[in-house]
Parts: sequence; structure tokens; C-alpha cells
Amino acid sequence: MPMASLINSPLRNADAYWVVHPLDDLLEEKRDPSGLGPMPMTLGVRLSLFALRAYLILMAVLVAYHFVDLAGLPTVFRG
Amino acid sequence: MLVGDLKEATIEIAQQAVAPRGRAVHSLWACNLLTFLMVLGPGLIVMEADNDAGAVSTYVQAGAQYGTHLLWILLLLLPMTYFVQEMVVRLGIATGQGHAAMIYQRFGRWWGRFSLFDLLLINFLTLVTEFAAIALALNKLGVDPRIGVPLSAVALMFLVGTGSYLRWERIVVALCLLDIAWIAIAFFLRPPVGEIIRNSLVPSVPAGGITASFVFLVIAIVGTTIAPWQLFFQQSCVADKRLRFSDLRWARLDTLIGAVFTIVVAGCMMIAGSASKVHGIAFLDPAQMAVDLRAFAGAGIKTAILFLMLNAAVLGTTAISLSSAWAYGEVRGWPHSLQLPLRDAPGFYSVYFVCVALAAAVVLIPDAPLQLIIVSVQVLAGVMLPSAIIFLQLLLNDRTLLGDEFTNKSWNNWINWTIIVVFFVLSLVLALQVIAPELLLQGK
Repeated sequence: MPMASLINSPLRNADAYWVVHPLDDLLEEKRDPSGLGPMPMTLGVRLSLFALRAYLILMAVLVAYHFVDLAGLPTVFRG
Repeated sequence: MLVGDLKEATIEIAQQAVAPRGRAVHSLWACNLLTFLMVLGPGLIVMEADNDAGAVSTYVQAGAQYGTHLLWILLLLLPMTYFVQEMVVRLGIATGQGHAAMIYQRFGRWWGRFSLFDLLLINFLTLVTEFAAIALALNKLGVDPRIGVPLSAVALMFLVGTGSYLRWERIVVALCLLDIAWIAIAFFLRPPVGEIIRNSLVPSVPAGGITASFVFLVIAIVGTTIAPWQLFFQQSCVADKRLRFSDLRWARLDTLIGAVFTIVVAGCMMIAGSASKVHGIAFLDPAQMAVDLRAFAGAGIKTAILFLMLNAAVLGTTAISLSSAWAYGEVRGWPHSLQLPLRDAPGFYSVYFVCVALAAAVVLIPDAPLQLIIVSVQVLAGVMLPSAIIFLQLLLNDRTLLGDEFTNKSWNNWINWTIIVVFFVLSLVLALQVIAPELLLQGK
């Protein structure tokens, strides 16, 4: 008989379903990253982080361009 | 007392100590319904709080400028927003930790601090726009913002300071459900139903073609519908609510219902804006539009829209401030739960209170550069969203951490990487439009 709470609840009743709010329920053992260290740098992870760095650098350049433009870009740099 | 009695008493005390409080029901459907209602909350709140003051402004403006021609974008965004938030739910339930904590632990201090700093900055600027909208709406309602804004800030602080997650959640869910009034407003304005259905299902471009301002608004709609703070908020909220592995399917349903509700409400906001276009009213801002609509729709519509603007800003403020407080508390290792009273989590509540108080104070400064802040929010959100989603996607492929049960399936990855690429491109285009428009072709 399916239960909404943890199956080791001592208050199970064969004739009823016992529904427990998550905040009132016993704590579960979650997936814990604390002993795992940093994420393994697989090819996919490295490529993703590289793309993210490139994107952020490009955005920073655009913002810098905007501020220089606002301040009056020297004509030598204009097309 | 006899030994047997003592033994029985001990067992009873032990059972009371470990047995969770609960409720017995006598059918499976009642069990499922009750469980779903208990889990309902984080998904609905994160979605509907995203219909904040900025969203109201964006959707109403889209309707005022282009009628109902952009409704199809909302329908496209529905699955995108659901898939992104579903990943957040899965990660939150699997780890019981917030997004900021996960980035810090798995990607290191540099990326952790970058993500946290970005989140806090953009959240603060967004909070300023929320209080700006509160000031605007209160002004049109005849309330002096110098009184109304501080009162709103104090009320928002009391909202979280009760030491009960459930009390906060129930109040905020009620505020979310108030947005049903947008549906009533849309019906009241008697929009052309056939046109709405057609424009929702068939992509169309308004008369005038694809101009720079059209592209800007499309990107603003996308950026408004999926915001970086949502990733941090929902994961922390799921962790604070201590959702269990068995709650995953109900949390997904909660998120789906929230997504559908939000998109429907957003569509109604667009329809409200399109009513002003139909009646030849020039759009300035949502509060002024509410005043102008009074001429043909009545004072009730004006008051309703202004109160809904207030509601949107309040929802946005509490959710965004909490996402900052949770994220900062997670990274610093402070106690960070709405279940804790103020004295047990002073750092967590202080971050929330400082965010709200400072944002309200900025709005009250005479001649504050609010327009600059609004534009900055749009650009920064564009920068922040792809990076937040990339970390989310990488974490959901971390089989070492999550195991097979919670890791993305290959179809998940196909969809999510497509969404990420789309967001990257849109963010770049938005940044170019705002920062260096001369680098793009100019439209009409």
C-alpha cells in the first residue's frame, strides 16, 4: 500500500494511507557533494566552461565599448 | 511503575519522538491529492512571481505596440520555462541544497563567487524596479509614495519574519492566485477571440516587419519570462521545504501548473495592453495605461490594474529578496531557513531586510536614475541567464553526484542544450542592441 511518507513510519495502518507534510517528515539522506570535491573536468564540462568564459569576455568587451563610446570614442578607432 | 509499563511508556515516547505528524486518508486519490496540495508552492510561486513589475510593463507594452501579434512567443516559452525549472526542482530534491551552494561546491570558489555576485547585483537592481513600480502605482491610487513605499517595505519584512515557512508560503500563494483577476480583466475588455487564438498558435509579425524595436521587445519578453533568480529561488525553496524524493512528481506538476498559469496571465496582460492600442491610447507605462483605460472600461478596471501592479511588485520583491538571502546564506554557511526564527538565522534575515530596505530607499531618492537601472537590469539579466543555465545543465549531468535516478536523460540534454544556445544568441543580440546598436542594422 503506497505511502506518502517514508516507508519506515511506525504509524502505518493497513486500512489507510498516511500523508505527512514534508516539513513534518523525517529527514532523508540526500545526494551529498561534500566528499566528492570539484566536478570532474570532462571534455563536455571544459568546453561548456570555455564557451561561458568566451561569452562573458565578449559581454565585458561590449560593455567597455559602450562606456568608451559614451565618453567619446577617439576618431582613430572609428570605421 | 511496573517494568512492563515502563517498557511500554518508553516505546510510546520513542514512537512519538520519531513518528512524523500526519493525516490518515482512506483512498489513493485522496492520498495523492493531499500530498500534491502539501507539495504545491515553490513551483507556483517561482513562476507567478516572475510576472513581476518588469513583466507587467513588458507584456503590457508588447500588447500596446503590437496588439496580440506576440502571443505565440508566450506559447513557445511555456515548455522552455517548464524544462528549465523542472531541472531546478530535480536538483533541489536530489541534493537538498540551493543552487548557489551547488555551484560553489562543484565548480569551485571563483565560479561560486561570480554567480553569487552577479545574482546579488541583478537582484538588487530588479528590486529597485519593483519599488519604482510600487511608487508609480501608489501615486496613481492617490497614495503618497513617501509613505506607501516604506510601508510596503516594512510589510515585506514582516511577511518573512514569522519563523514559519508555511505561513509565508500560504500568504504568497494567495497573492499569486490574485493574478486570476488578469484573466477577468482580459475577458472584460472583450478582445477578439478568433484573433487571439490565431496569434497564439500561428507565429506572425506585425505590420511594419521585423524592426530593431520588435526584436528588442521579443528578447525582452524572453528575458522576462525566464529570469536568473528563478533558478536560485526554486532550488532553495524546494530545499527549505525539505521536499522528498517521493515528492518529485508532485513538484513537477506544481511547476507545470505554475508555468501554465504564468503564461496565461502574461497573455492576459498583453491583451490588456492591446486594448489600449485598439482605442488609440499612446502607451507610456502600465499605471498611466490603467488611468487611460478608465475612459472606456470604467474606474474598476483602472483600480484593478493598479492593484495588480502592486501585487506583481510585492510578489517579485519577496521572491527575489529571498533568492538573494538564501544564496548568500548557503555560500556563507549561515543558518538559512524560513522555518527558523529571526534570532536563530540573523544573517539570513538581515540580507533579506537590507535588500528590501536599500531598494526602497533608492526609489525615494529624488531624481534617481531609474531608467538607467531598468535598462541595466535587462542587460545584466541577459548576461546572467546563460551562465546560470549552463551550471544547471552541467550539474544535472553530474552522474557522480546524482546517480542515474536524477541525472538528465539524453532527450533532456537535447532540449536543454537547444534552449541554452537560443538564450546565448538572444542575450548577445540584446546586449548588442542596448550597448552598441550601431553595430546592428537599424530598422524603422
